[in-house]
Amino acid sequence: MRILWNEIKKILTWKVLLLLILINSVLYFFVIEFHIEHFPNGRPALDSYKIATQMVDKYGIDMDEDEILDFKNVYDAEVKKADRYLQSRKEFVEAGIGSYDKFANYSWENEEQSALHDKVFFEEQVDLFFELQERSRLITFHENRKVYPYPSNATAKQKLRYEELNTAKHYRVYTELIIDNFREFISDVAIAILFSVVLVISPAILKDRSRQLLGLQYTAKKGRQLYLTKIAAGMISTFVVITALLIVYFSIYSLNKTSLFFDVPIHTFIGNYAWYNPTFFQYILLCVAAIYVLGFVFGLFAMAFSSIVSSMVALLGIQIPLVAGMLIFGLKPLLSFIIGIWYPQWLVPTSYSVMLIVSVLFVVYLTTREKRRDIVN
Amino acid sequence: MRIFYNECKKAFTSPIFIALLLLFAAFNIFVIVNSSDHKEELKVASELVEKYGRTITDQSLRQFEQDFQVELAELKKITGREYSSVYDFLDGLNHEDHELYDENEWLFINQLQLKEMYVSMAKDIDGNYARIDFKKFAEAEIEKYGLGGAAAKTLQHEYEEFSKRFEEMKQNGEHKEWFFAGKAYFMHSLLYRSVFMHIIIEALLLMVLSTALITNYEFENRTHLVAYATTRGRSLMKDKLAASLTMATSITIFLLAVTLGTFFVVFDYSTMWGTSISSAFNWEYQYPYVSWWDLSVGTFLVGVIVVVYVVMLLFSGLTFALSTLVKNSYITFFLMSSFFVIALLIPSFMLTSSNLLFITTHNLSSLVLNPHQLFMGSSGLTMFKTFELMTIGCWTMITMLFCIFSLKRFNKKDIQ
Repeated sequence: MRILWNEIKKILTWKVLLLLILINSVLYFFVIEFHIEHFPNGRPALDSYKIATQMVDKYGIDMDEDEILDFKNVYDAEVKKADRYLQSRKEFVEAGIGSYDKFANYSWENEEQSALHDKVFFEEQVDLFFELQERSRLITFHENRKVYPYPSNATAKQKLRYEELNTAKHYRVYTELIIDNFREFISDVAIAILFSVVLVISPAILKDRSRQLLGLQYTAKKGRQLYLTKIAAGMISTFVVITALLIVYFSIYSLNKTSLFFDVPIHTFIGNYAWYNPTFFQYILLCVAAIYVLGFVFGLFAMAFSSIVSSMVALLGIQIPLVAGMLIFGLKPLLSFIIGIWYPQWLVPTSYSVMLIVSVLFVVYLTTREKRRDIVN
Repeated sequence: MRIFYNECKKAFTSPIFIALLLLFAAFNIFVIVNSSDHKEELKVASELVEKYGRTITDQSLRQFEQDFQVELAELKKITGREYSSVYDFLDGLNHEDHELYDENEWLFINQLQLKEMYVSMAKDIDGNYARIDFKKFAEAEIEKYGLGGAAAKTLQHEYEEFSKRFEEMKQNGEHKEWFFAGKAYFMHSLLYRSVFMHIIIEALLLMVLSTALITNYEFENRTHLVAYATTRGRSLMKDKLAASLTMATSITIFLLAVTLGTFFVVFDYSTMWGTSISSAFNWEYQYPYVSWWDLSVGTFLVGVIVVVYVVMLLFSGLTFALSTLVKNSYITFFLMSSFFVIALLIPSFMLTSSNLLFITTHNLSSLVLNPHQLFMGSSGLTMFKTFELMTIGCWTMITMLFCIFSLKRFNKKDIQ
C-alpha cells in the first residue's frame, strides 16, 4: 500500500498539477467558456429557452396530442395579441403589415416593410415577436413530421426506429437548444480531460527508466511486481484526474440552469432521435461514463507507450496522432452523438469495447514482458 | 560542422519523427484529394484567361458575352427550345428529363452554366463594388467587438486609410481580373485556411518536438556531464540552436513541398499566377479579399510562405530558449502549446477601449493562424498595413533577447 501511495505521489507531483491547472485554464477559456457564458446565445435562442421552460412546466416531460393542441391555442392567442399590437401602430398599418400574418410574410424587397421588420427585431426587441417566431418554428416542425416521417436517406434500421418512435407518439417537441449546448459542452470537456490524462500519465513509467532506477527497483523485495503497482497507481491517478475535472466542469455547467430538463427524454428534443430512450439526466450520465472509458483507454495507452519508447519526445510524438485522430474523427460519433440515430447502432459499443480490449491487452502483454525483460538494455 | 551535423541527426534519425512527418504528409494529401471534386470545373476560369486575357475590359467582356450567346443558341439546338438563361432550362427540368440528353450534351450544358455564372459575376462587379464601404465595415467591426475610445478611433483611422487604397484599387481595375469564382469554389479558403492551416499546425508540432529533443538530448540521455565537459563545452548549445533552426527549416520545406506540390498538381493554377489576389472573383464571404498592395496570386503565395517560414524559425527559437531554461522536453511541449493558445486569448481579456488591445493582437499565433488574411485590409482587428512586419519585427527582438538570456543563464548554471 505504501509503495502504491508513493507511486501515486510520483505521478501527481506539484509541478504536474500546476501544469494541469494551466492547461485546463487555457482550454477552459479557449473552448469551454463559450458554452457557459453565451447560453442562451442571443435573441431567438433566449426566447427558445424561455418557451421551453414554460412548456416543461406546463406539459411535463412529454407532450400528447391534447397538449400540442393547447400549445397551438396559445400560439393563436399570441398571434391575436401581435395583431392588436400591429393594428395599434399606424406606421405598420400604412406599410401594409397590419396583421401578424402579413408581418411574418413581409417582403424584404419592400424597403418600408423590411425597415419596420428590422425595427421590431433589432431596435425594439419586442419579446412577443421573438416568441411567436419560436412557437411557429416548433409547430411547423411538429407538423412536418407527418409529411416527412423520416429523412429520405435513412437506412432500413433507421426507418424502423423512426417508425417505432412515431407510433409510440414520442414527438419531437422541445427546442434542441438545451441538448445541443450540452453536446458541445461535453465534447469540449472531453478534449480537456483527454489532454489532462495524457499530460499526467504519460511520463509515469518512462521517468523511472530514464533515470535508470529499474536496476534498484527490480532487485528489491517487491521485485518486478512493482510494474503492476505502477500501472495501478496510473489507473488511480487517471481516475482522480478525471473525477476532479468532471466535478469542476459540471459545477460550471450547473450555471446553465438546465436541471429543469433532466427528466425530459432526449428524443423529445427536436432532431435528437436516438437508438435508446434515456432521459436527459441519464444521457448526461452516459456521457460521463463514456468520458471515463475514454480517459482510462488513453491512460492505459499512455502507460503502455511510456513502457516502450526511449524518450519523452517520442512519447509525445507517438500520442499526437492518437489524440488528434480521436479529436478529429472520434469524438463526434463516440461522445457528442453517442446514441444518435445517425450512426449505426453497433458503432459505439463496438468501438468502446475494441478500444478497451486493445488497451488492456496491450498493458497485460507489457506486464508479462516486463517479468522476463532484460532491463540492462 | 561535424557537431552541428550530429545534432541534426538526433532529430531526423528519430523513427517517431520520420513516422509523424510521413503521416502528416499523407494526411495533407488525403485532405487535398478529398476536396478536389470541383477541379474539372475550375478549367472554365482558366479557359477564360486564355481566350479573353487576364484583365476584364469592357471589350473583352462584350466579346465573352457574344460568344456566350452563340453557345446559348447551341443549347436551343439540343433542347429544341429557346432559353435566355441556362438556369431557366435547368429549373424547368424534371427528374426524368435527365435521360433525354447524353453525356456530351450534359458536359456542354454544365460548361455553359458555369460560363453564365462568370458572365453575370463579371457584369455585377462594378455594381457590387460601388456598394462596398470599408468605413461601414469598420463600424460593424467596432460594434462586433464592442470597441470604444482610443481603440475605436485607431481602427476607424486605419480603415479610412484603407478606404483610400480601396478607391485607388477600383480606379486602376486590379480587381477586374479572372480568378476561380470564390463563392462557388472557395479556392482561397481551401488553400490558405485548410491546406496551409494543416501545414502550419503540423510543422509547429514537429518543430517543437525536434527543437525540444535536440536541446534537452544530453539531459534526457544522461550524457550532459560528458558533453558539457568537452572542449566545445557549453557552447554546444549554440550548435543545438543552429541545428534546431535547420530542422525547423527542413520540416517546413518538406511539408510545404509535398503538400503544395500535390495541391498545384491537383488544381491547375498555371493560368492564374498573374491574377491579382484582390480579384473580384476572390470573394467568398460578405466582403471580398482586398490586400493593401497590388499582389498577384503568385506573389501572395510567396509572401505567405515567407511569413510562415519566419514564424517557424521564431517559434523554434522560443522553444529552444524555453527548453534551455526548463531542461525538460515534456514540460516544454505543454508550456509552448499553452503559450501558443494564451497569445490568442490575451486580446479577449484586454480593455476594448485602449490601444493595448491592438498591441496584444500583434502576436505570432494570430499571425500564423490567419494565412488567408495576411497582407489583407479586410481582416478586422489584424488589418493594419504593417501588421505582418511589426509582429515579425517585435517578436524577432523578443526571441533573440530570450535566447541570449537563456544561453547566458545556461553558461553559469549548475548542470547537475
